[in-house]
Amino acid sequence: MNELSNRSRDIGEFIPQPDDDMIVCRCEEVTKGEIRKAVHEGLWTIAEIRRYLRCGMGLCQGQTCAKLVKGIVARELKVSPALLEPATSRSPMRPVEMHVFAKETEDTDL
Amino acid sequence: MKIERFDLIVVGAGPSGLSAAIEAAKHGMKVVVFDENARPGGQLFKQIHKFFGSKEHKAKIRGFHIGEQLLKEADDAGVKVELNATVAGLYQDREVVVRMGDEVHHFKGDAIIIATGAAENMVLFDGWTLPGVMGAGAAQTLMNLYGVKPGERILMLGSGNVGLVVSYQLLQAGCQVVALVDAAPKIGGYGVHAAKVARTGVPFYLSHTIKKAEGTDHVTGVTIAEVDNHFQFIPGTDKHFDVDTICVAVGLSPMSQLLKMAGCKMEDNPKRGGQVPIIGEYGETSVPGIFSAGDVSGIEEASSAMIEGRMSGAVAAEYLGYITKEEKEEILAKLKASLGSLREGMFAPKNRGKDIKETEEGIPISTNLLHKGYVLDSEIERFPGVTHKKGVHPVIECTQNIPCNPCQDACTRHCIKIGSHITALPAVDETADCINCGMCVASCPGQAIFLVNEDAGDRKAEITLPYEFLPLPETGMKGTALGRDGQPLCDAEVTRVRSSKAFDGTNLLTISVPAEFAMKARFFKAAAQA
Repeated sequence: MNELSNRSRDIGEFIPQPDDDMIVCRCEEVTKGEIRKAVHEGLWTIAEIRRYLRCGMGLCQGQTCAKLVKGIVARELKVSPALLEPATSRSPMRPVEMHVFAKETEDTDL
Repeated sequence: MKIERFDLIVVGAGPSGLSAAIEAAKHGMKVVVFDENARPGGQLFKQIHKFFGSKEHKAKIRGFHIGEQLLKEADDAGVKVELNATVAGLYQDREVVVRMGDEVHHFKGDAIIIATGAAENMVLFDGWTLPGVMGAGAAQTLMNLYGVKPGERILMLGSGNVGLVVSYQLLQAGCQVVALVDAAPKIGGYGVHAAKVARTGVPFYLSHTIKKAEGTDHVTGVTIAEVDNHFQFIPGTDKHFDVDTICVAVGLSPMSQLLKMAGCKMEDNPKRGGQVPIIGEYGETSVPGIFSAGDVSGIEEASSAMIEGRMSGAVAAEYLGYITKEEKEEILAKLKASLGSLREGMFAPKNRGKDIKETEEGIPISTNLLHKGYVLDSEIERFPGVTHKKGVHPVIECTQNIPCNPCQDACTRHCIKIGSHITALPAVDETADCINCGMCVASCPGQAIFLVNEDAGDRKAEITLPYEFLPLPETGMKGTALGRDGQPLCDAEVTRVRSSKAFDGTNLLTISVPAEFAMKARFFKAAAQA
């Protein structure tokens, strides 16, 4: 069991900070305070934080904020950011409108 | 559903992707390169500066010219380059899904090379989401690809090569760079890149970072403050600048998601820039048939990326039986030597984070260069490129061991010696006769070479310096000579202006100054037009 899987580890109380209202994920408008609070609510992995807050799930797919979010979560957990598994990579790697995908069914020569 | 098959599918048409495709196609492979951008070349076409390295690394050639060469080579080799083609997924058995126009297309590659490059990092500060805060690379794209000035008054955060090079290019575009700021205590990029920015008068603030970007609907100002060893702000050290743009150059992160999606083993490696595939020496990932090249597997320079691309292209060719193992080994041995020489010197990946105090020659590094961006008058004399003699002679202010040697080849009179060890500091041979041809000045990618005549008569000295700004001063024009620190030194008059195709866009400005400033004056500022 490492520092991340031991969820009974005490990471201390959530202490508000003056820059908690700063936006970290621009696409989904998620603030630093929301991310920090989520960690204290028990969401310790990047995947959980993403599902809970949607940070990194907008137009840029976390290209800008992924590293920043990782840093904030790691600091809250008092671990090295390298320990945190990054988000799962899924298709589409870049946003693709549904109508583009929908077209695929029209020519099925298989 | 139709699936089109290729021997090799390359993702990313930047320096490494194109190089990989060229190498593979040369061996008879059917190759396609997909790139999501409208133009090929990755970041090469916005690199308007001359590259470092040696001849085999295309040194002293400007980045966009290297891009043009690569595109031609790719075309000649029969590589198909698909632009506006966004790879949306990489699946089992090397199936690639690409969005082109309003359709999704399916491809299959017997081998895949991922050369997707990297994206700029951001840093959080109050106001970082305001319009006017942008990546330095974004500013470079605006200027050099689209001809749009990113702003008028700019603060640059980050003193790595990107921050330094883009600061210089902002100055070339006619912007004012009010300060170059870095939280680190030392300048991260090449000293020569810092020096060419510092001598135009841009102040450097090391151990400082941005506290706040000001403005309501766009940036109107910025406050920086000094930080301690733990990167905490030191109270009472705030400095304010009126700016309309803040450029952020705080490193790059590999865009390695496709490799992760394909199931390649990954690691978090801060030395390589973040999430990278675990690869063999030539870009082999843990999944057979999938290779990586360039920044996606570790942030380096474009010159290294091109060699890595060639390597993975050769490895893919052997993997599919287009060349024999022996042929591959022969290609790789050459490339390996070439890549090895680029990975030498103070800024080599293996030396990252090390506190280097002396050059390979045992000369103490200029501490002022690391903190303020310029070598002090009292420090410059200890370097082997700085000598004195009667008549015109080169003065080479190259004070750090970097893999670069065009100056040695530029001088047909053998005044300049680096030797076979590419990172050695250039030394001036006082016994050789300089003919004042100017080729060394123009060929130095670091703009660190000056031709000095310490006694040009009438108690004057003449200094020939590299000049890449517009408008180009004319002979007879009067102005001010600036020191290495960018501060005004004395009156100066332009006595000669040389431009030539051989100088490739670097103009040679000869200025006349009082003799006592021969070893001090390093830039010219024209007097304000009346």
